[in-house]
Order: sequence, then C-alpha cells, then structure tokens
Amino acid sequence: MPPEPDKNSAKTKWVQIESYIQLGVLLPAATFVGWLIGHLLDLHFHTDWIYLVGLGFGIAAGFVQFFRVALKTTDD
Amino acid sequence: MEQLFFTRFLNQYFGGFAARLLSALGAHPVSAGEKTQYLFTYNPAAPISNFFAMELLVVGILVVLFLWARARISVDNPGPMQHIFELTEQFIDGQSEEIIGHHSSHFTPFLVALGLFILISNLIGLIPGFESPTATPTVPLGLAIVAWLYYHFHGIKKQGPVKYAKHFVGPMPILAPLMIPIEIISHIARMMSLTIRLYANIFAGDLVTLVFFSLIPIGIPVIFLGLHLFVSLLQAYIFVLLATVYLAGAVAEEH
Repeated sequence: MPPEPDKNSAKTKWVQIESYIQLGVLLPAATFVGWLIGHLLDLHFHTDWIYLVGLGFGIAAGFVQFFRVALKTTDD
Repeated sequence: MEQLFFTRFLNQYFGGFAARLLSALGAHPVSAGEKTQYLFTYNPAAPISNFFAMELLVVGILVVLFLWARARISVDNPGPMQHIFELTEQFIDGQSEEIIGHHSSHFTPFLVALGLFILISNLIGLIPGFESPTATPTVPLGLAIVAWLYYHFHGIKKQGPVKYAKHFVGPMPILAPLMIPIEIISHIARMMSLTIRLYANIFAGDLVTLVFFSLIPIGIPVIFLGLHLFVSLLQAYIFVLLATVYLAGAVAEEH
C-alpha cells in the first residue's frame, strides 16, 4: 500500500473501519469461493475429494486476509 | 415477476429485438415459473427484465444530467448542478489521491461514474413505481466484475504482467504453491464480498420499507425511507472506497 498522507484524517479512519467490516464478509466469502472452485474441479474430473482441498485453501485465504488487515491496521 | 411501467414500455417496443438478441447469445426462452436445466434463460413474454430496464433508465438519467450540466457549464456563474458535479468529482479525486497517492487523477472518471451509477441505482427504488436495480444480485455482480477487471488491468499496465504476477507468489518462493491458490481465492472473494454487501443492503432496505408499509402505511415508513436513503449513500461510498483501495493495492510498487 502507498503511504497515506494523514493517518488521523476522517477518510483514513473510514478506510480502517471498512477494512474491518470487509473481514466479516471476506472470511466466509473466501471459504465459499475455495469450496466452489474445488466443487467445480470435482465435477470436471469426476472426483469427490478436491472440494476438501478447495475448502482448506479457502479457509487459509480468509485467515491470510484477516491477519494482513489486522497487522496493517495495528501498524497504522 | 410483475413488470414495472417502464419495463412494460420497453418490452412493448423493444421486446422482439431483445428476444432475438438473447437467442443469438445462446439464452433459452423459458416461461415464468417453468422448471429448466438451462442457466442462461429469458422470459419470452417479457425479455427485458425489471432490473435491466431500471439500469437503462439510470444510464439515461446520468447521460441527461451530464449533458445538461455540460451545456450550462460556466466559470463565472456556476449553477447548482455544476456545483454538485464539481463537489462529487473533487470528493472522489481527493479520496483517491489520499489512498492511491500521486497520479491517481486518471482513475477519477471511472470511480465517479461507478459511484454515481450505484448511487442513482440505489436511490431510484425510493420512487414508487420504480425499483433499485442493485437489489438484484446480477447488477452488483456486474459492477464488481467491472471494478475487479479494472484494478487488475491497471495493476498489469503499471507494473507489467511478470512483476504483477509476483504479487501472487508471496514473500518466499518456497511457499508459492500454497500462496498462489490462496491469493487467487482472495481476489475472487473480493469480487464476491463487493457483490453480497451491495445486494444484501439494498435488498434488505427495500424489503424492510415494504414490510413496514404493509403493516403501518402512515408515518412509520418515512423512517425506513430515510434509513434507505442513508444506506444508499453509504453503500455507494463504500463500493467506490473499496474499489479505490483495491486499485491502490494493484498499482502500488510494493505490497
């Protein structure tokens, strides 16, 4: 992210607040997207286990985003 | 699905053309309520749906407003419409400069157009006889796809495909097989979260207003109309804000 000129400005605070709100949606969304990709691959390859791998990656992606936003906001 | 007045008008004059166009694009005619195996369908009795008619109306309103403001533009004696457009442009330009940094002004036209389209789409549902196109998931999804493609396009344009792709690899090359799927899922999830939030908020706002209107038709719905007005403004702002934040992440030299 580029440096923000004024870290105490109202807009920057909105960005921070929005980042937290975004987490509430991003965590389940990432899990769902991971499952969906795995499910579609299962349908394509006629298997029944790739959805579990997709689910794992989706949960991991959600948590990676969670820690990124949390660390970034703590640094600010 | 009951057709709105404007939808009925469009279907009367352009329904035949819309049906031929949809058939040519591979859509299947399926009557309302009929079960189908096809994903891409249209109602032969009303090929133009309410949300699409409302989208066209919003685009029409914006084009007329822009042309009207353009015709009356004046440096010495700016009118109220010019003031509103200048304030909107300055607000979004200032915000994108704060988040993206210098050279952010060439993103402003896209962000202003996106913000105004979402705002008018959200607000049009407050007028009786019209409905918010953003209360149908297809419209927020389309907007999210446009914003998603736009920030990836500018990320690739600014940094080149190889350097941009390195963002997906993560800090350690050994972790790349793990990080690449995680990053891809994260980016798709952004698109999904943009869609869900805008759709859910506007749909819920419409529904709550309708429910209270059917329970107590006098007085109380005004409170919920006010709430819907606030939610409309806030959601348009948040969508543009998030698109700006994602754009900043894509065009930044370092993550």
